[in-house]
Amino acid sequence: MRKRLLSGLEPYLFVAPLALFVVLFVFIPILGTVWSSFYSDVTFLERRFSFLQNYGALFSDPGFWKSLRFTLLFISVAVPLELIIGTAFAVVLDLEIPLRGLLRACVLIPWAIPSAISARIWELIYNYSFGLANFLLAKIGPASPPVNWLGTDFGAFAAVTAADVWKTAPFVAIIVLAGLQAVPRDLKLQAKIDRANFAQIFFKVTLPLLKPVLVVALLFRTIDSLRIFDVIYVLTHGGPGGATASVSLYAYKYFLGGDFGYGSAASVALFLVSFSLSCLYVKYSGFTEAAS
Amino acid sequence: MKEETLSSILTFVAACFMAGFSLAPFLYMFATSFNASPDYLTGGFNFTLANYNDVLGVKSLHFLDYLRNSLVVSFVSSVATVLLASLAAYAITRLEMKGKAAILLFVLAVSMFPQVSLIGYLFRVMTELDLINTYTALVLPYIAWILPLALWILVSYFAQIPKELDRAAVIDGCTKWQVLFKVLLPVSLPGIFSTALLSFIFAFNEFLFALMLTTDYQSRTIPVGIALFQGLHGETPWGQIMAASTLTTLPILLFTLLFQRHIVQGLTRGAVKG
Repeated sequence: MRKRLLSGLEPYLFVAPLALFVVLFVFIPILGTVWSSFYSDVTFLERRFSFLQNYGALFSDPGFWKSLRFTLLFISVAVPLELIIGTAFAVVLDLEIPLRGLLRACVLIPWAIPSAISARIWELIYNYSFGLANFLLAKIGPASPPVNWLGTDFGAFAAVTAADVWKTAPFVAIIVLAGLQAVPRDLKLQAKIDRANFAQIFFKVTLPLLKPVLVVALLFRTIDSLRIFDVIYVLTHGGPGGATASVSLYAYKYFLGGDFGYGSAASVALFLVSFSLSCLYVKYSGFTEAAS
Repeated sequence: MKEETLSSILTFVAACFMAGFSLAPFLYMFATSFNASPDYLTGGFNFTLANYNDVLGVKSLHFLDYLRNSLVVSFVSSVATVLLASLAAYAITRLEMKGKAAILLFVLAVSMFPQVSLIGYLFRVMTELDLINTYTALVLPYIAWILPLALWILVSYFAQIPKELDRAAVIDGCTKWQVLFKVLLPVSLPGIFSTALLSFIFAFNEFLFALMLTTDYQSRTIPVGIALFQGLHGETPWGQIMAASTLTTLPILLFTLLFQRHIVQGLTRGAVKG
């Protein structure tokens, strides 16, 4: 009897180390952040319970709304671009071409390099006086004054978006490629016999079958873009004047300044948005079936 | 026939565009790293190795310290992650227990949390434990952060390996641990390798934890080091930054070329289906 009980517990021993790590270093920190958001908690000042005061201050700060608006705007421009470019790349990678493996590796490289490093390269590309972007514009573009990429609201938005799309479109391409390879060849062949052209096959046959994969990529990219930090930290530091400050950067700046209560409130707000999207993701991605 | 040539030309153009799109920034980085001044596009190319000399030779720039920190932290995190994830993946795919789906979903949800909602608390705990600016402060959260991905990939690999294999081992008198370490792990080496590789990349690229939990060259990792790179003189030392970036990027580039198949497999399994 005792032995049976022990062997019934054994599987949980295998899972315990993983669970311990996740609980200690992810789950408890989240709870700690929620807890801290109800306190007035600034370095060197006395810590005291203030209930919803941080949230009140947060929701009445135009800076917070600005960062939320930027983050949502960024998502709604960057994620569709990533999906379109990623899907286009995947279609080419799916073709029978020589050096396919090499091309696939090239496309993967932007994804594999730390974003902080690639953001530094983009920072130089966008340099006002000697960057590549303005050099090319002057060479091939119409005669116009150089663009102040990182110093204007629109320029900074475009710069951040381009750098992020460049980095994450490959990820979408790899996921969509897996979906493409699952499309039965016979189906495409049959369409070819029926004299459908490439575009017709893609839009009428392939794309509908790709829908589940695209939904997964869409949600995954949305959740990930919601927490964007590195690229912005390096490229614009949220500037000019907070025009490109994501919610993550907004909260980080308060942590950095020692205002843990307020920073926590801002990150809890971000967490709640992100968590509701994660629930959607779990619901639509078929993970529930995969897991059971 | 004519249509076929046209389509192969189009494919070729598309492939070239894709390679260019992905690699052009790196060529620019490479060219800048060998130039005395970053304004060479208009001012003329001025070849020099000085940037590499500085980055590798000047101690106070700490490039090699950052690189070493990154390698140690990523390696330890990746090995520990794979080990812990294989234990759990074994139990989930092979043993009878309740709540398997709950564990997988819980872990998945956790992996989507924004990092910023953890750093305030982690910073304080690590300060309290006097661990700020140590490898431990990075490795512990990294392991927890990467575990979900590793678990999902490994569960998908283990599930594909025929159960007859370990049943035979059980009949031969192997314990559960022996089944895992002597049968399952050796057969799934490619999967283990993909998982370790992806875990390494994730740890190597991580930015926010490293930014918050390190203070100087003793434990600062290379992404943060390059993001905060200060030259010896006032203005942004583009040549040195690009030389440091090139030295960091080249090994990753080679790795990606060599192991793209493994990376792609890992990514696909981790993201698309279980």
